[in-house]
Amino acid sequence: MSDLVDIFSSSARKAGAEICRLPDTEQVGEYVRECVGGSVLLPSFATSGRLGLAAALTNAGCTVAAGGNLRPAAAGADAGVTGANFGIAETGTVVLESTLEDIRLASTLPPKHFVLLDPRKIIVDSLAANELLRRFHQKQSRNYLAYITGPSRTADIERVLTIGVHGPKELHILLVEGLSDDFLEM
Amino acid sequence: MKERTRQYKERISRALASPRLQEALHQFGDAYVVSRSNAFADYDFEQMRAGIAAMKDGVRENREALLAEFTSNAEAAGAKVFFARTADEANAYIADLARKRGVKKVVKSKSMASEETHLNKALAAAGARAVETDLGEWIIQLAGQRPSHMVMPAIHMFRDEVAELFSKVTGREEPEEIEHLVEVAREQLRSEYLAADMGISGANVAVAETGGIALVTNEGNARLATTLPKVHVALVGIEKLVPTLEDATDVVRILPKNATGQAITSYVTWIRGAVPCGDEEKELHIVLLDNGRSALAESPHCRDALRCIKCGACANVCPVYQTVGGHVFGHIYISAIGIILTAFFDGLDKAAEIVRACIGCRACVAVCPSKIDLESIILHLRESIGEEEGIGAGKSLVFKKIMRNRTLFHSMIRAASLLQKPVTRGERTIRHLPLFFSGLTEWRTLPAIAEKPLRAVFGDLPQKVDKPRHRVAFFAGCANDFLYPELGGDLVRVMNHLGVEVTFPQKQNCCGIPALYSGDKETAVELAEQNVAAMLEGDPDYVLTTCPTCTMALQRDFVDHLKDNPVWAEKAERLAGITMDASKFIVDVLDGAETFKGLAAPEKVTYHDSCHLKRGAGVWQQPRTLLETSGRDLVEMSHADRCCGFGGSYSFTSHPNIARRILGDKIDDIEKSGAACVAMDCPGCMMQIRGGLEKKGSAVRTAHTIELLAETLDQP
Repeated sequence: MSDLVDIFSSSARKAGAEICRLPDTEQVGEYVRECVGGSVLLPSFATSGRLGLAAALTNAGCTVAAGGNLRPAAAGADAGVTGANFGIAETGTVVLESTLEDIRLASTLPPKHFVLLDPRKIIVDSLAANELLRRFHQKQSRNYLAYITGPSRTADIERVLTIGVHGPKELHILLVEGLSDDFLEM
Repeated sequence: MKERTRQYKERISRALASPRLQEALHQFGDAYVVSRSNAFADYDFEQMRAGIAAMKDGVRENREALLAEFTSNAEAAGAKVFFARTADEANAYIADLARKRGVKKVVKSKSMASEETHLNKALAAAGARAVETDLGEWIIQLAGQRPSHMVMPAIHMFRDEVAELFSKVTGREEPEEIEHLVEVAREQLRSEYLAADMGISGANVAVAETGGIALVTNEGNARLATTLPKVHVALVGIEKLVPTLEDATDVVRILPKNATGQAITSYVTWIRGAVPCGDEEKELHIVLLDNGRSALAESPHCRDALRCIKCGACANVCPVYQTVGGHVFGHIYISAIGIILTAFFDGLDKAAEIVRACIGCRACVAVCPSKIDLESIILHLRESIGEEEGIGAGKSLVFKKIMRNRTLFHSMIRAASLLQKPVTRGERTIRHLPLFFSGLTEWRTLPAIAEKPLRAVFGDLPQKVDKPRHRVAFFAGCANDFLYPELGGDLVRVMNHLGVEVTFPQKQNCCGIPALYSGDKETAVELAEQNVAAMLEGDPDYVLTTCPTCTMALQRDFVDHLKDNPVWAEKAERLAGITMDASKFIVDVLDGAETFKGLAAPEKVTYHDSCHLKRGAGVWQQPRTLLETSGRDLVEMSHADRCCGFGGSYSFTSHPNIARRILGDKIDDIEKSGAACVAMDCPGCMMQIRGGLEKKGSAVRTAHTIELLAETLDQP
């Protein structure tokens, strides 16, 4: 399994993501505050509620706009914090079941996106993800699933790779053990 | 000349006068090859693309059932699905929706289908302003242009031009710095997403099993355009349909690797149904676009084009695209696939010029992730246009009245060899032609027609072989026969040295490729029959060629031309089975490379891969083995397998100015290799490359591999 984490980390870095292993949500709060000056969007997701992520962020000194309807706060926020359902080692991808709009707002509009991922939930490749994709579709009649690999990028001007065009300019993947071992849960 | 043709030629001239564009596209082509090969380093491309081709063919066959399955699953998930038979129907549906919802502003993520239907115009007429949000698309929207590449729409533009456009938007002078310009786009477009009433996307796949779509993007604009506005319209060509999630994943796995050399794009977004939007749910409309796709599915010769996953690779590797860009070599869709899609989506008339712009080098066929034989389909379209519009009176006379009559054809060539004397001055090379022919020798010399063709002297060639291992018949092709008859003598000496006897069937005629490439299939079929009969007479063990274009005719085209003819089909198959390039025969059948070991002078030789030899007959290693084993010092040039720009009539009549530029690239690569000799296995390439080197006064000599092998037998 640690092999998968290594492959995942190296692929994610290659795609331009920051990877950091953190022991607990308290450290997550510290990490986010270090990186972010303004407000942080925190949509509702299972592990966040269970582990008191909102409190951890607030305690660390972050200004948190918490879930419900994040639309009013989204455009002006500096960062979004979400979980991930699982990761894909081959490409360093995080998969976010983003049917809830707040997850999408937090992962598209702010310039920085922090993703919490339990290192136990890393699979080999997108072929192995097919089964999980199907389970999501069986469970939900409508859904919005996002594979996210590194920050937003473009090469549309003279083929020069430039980071952060419309989506996040920074993607931080925070590996935290003990979040969840359910691949369908964020 | 037709007005259409005149305008086309003007576009070519303008593109050829833009060295900056050519340089950018050449650099892009080089970088693409490297990143693509890295992306596939751990993957079996051939296996992957065979899978995509088979899956897509299945979709074509079951398209009605799959469309019904997709539609019912999408509707069950709350989407409204509209099937548009034409571009107009699609536009009318979307414009009507915009009107009904009072839409003032639309944000669009990149969609080639919407380019195809000219959707933005229809929206404007309905009072809705469409804003392109993909950076490249936004740039060309501001410039009032159309995409010049499917994946990188603004690849023809430069930072200073972008800065100028953006300055007009912001009202201040924006510096010509790419990172800054990207930031300007981010800021400007952000407010558009937030204010838009409708978001429009395309789809890279539509999954029948789920009724969902997937979007493969890098910038993140598709995620914003499908999330923020209340209404989402996905305009989806019906060829994007796949049966299952597994099939969709297969497309997603190969697409970015082949498009940009990325393992995966930043975002792959799977959307099924009307998902939450603010306090309500999204209004999702899926417009399935036919617009010629069903007609394409019914065309036995062209239908493989429906496998296309729109990666743009056929442009990236195309020497014609690299020379003139997508605004010349394309209509809405560009390059090789663009020719075919244009013919079916916009009509033959729109495709009539660009269908001739393909030089036939098959570089695109080698990289196509859906295994589409683009060149063959383009040839077929050329035939269709030939039937519709005629192929030109001059060509028609030559092909129909002269070439089909072998005796007449050959006696006319003999006559020409006498008539050319004033310009050849008895030499083997024509350096200048008088008057209005002078353009033909402005940039390359041309070989003179030999005084005596190979067919006239073959009987006198001594054959020194007692008990032949094999008896082979030589199919010389017109170039060997009439321009380079010495090569026939060289082949006989090399084969005799290997214990093989060579015959020359006198009834062989032109292989028919020039007629076929010009759109005259009838003549090509007639020539196929003549040649099958001629070459099988005498029952040879093998039929050898020294011209790979002839090889393709004998191996591929004759079989195809005659497959429905009960008298000829089996014979054509038999001929195809025993036909092979001479160097392949020596290495693979005779295992004869060692026979020449160390016999050659240690000359520095570089090898040019002829398009039809490498990508048609699959031969590229064998000549290198022969050259190296014989003792030549083989050095690889850059782009060894890039077309030399010959292309038969392409370089004489249809596109000489493009051919000239492509030759210029080849000459540069040859000279940079430092070789004293460039070897190749195609008389067409010899004519082109030798012509270019001679005109330039280069010291590098040009030789056929068989010629170089024969030289080794001259060594004392």
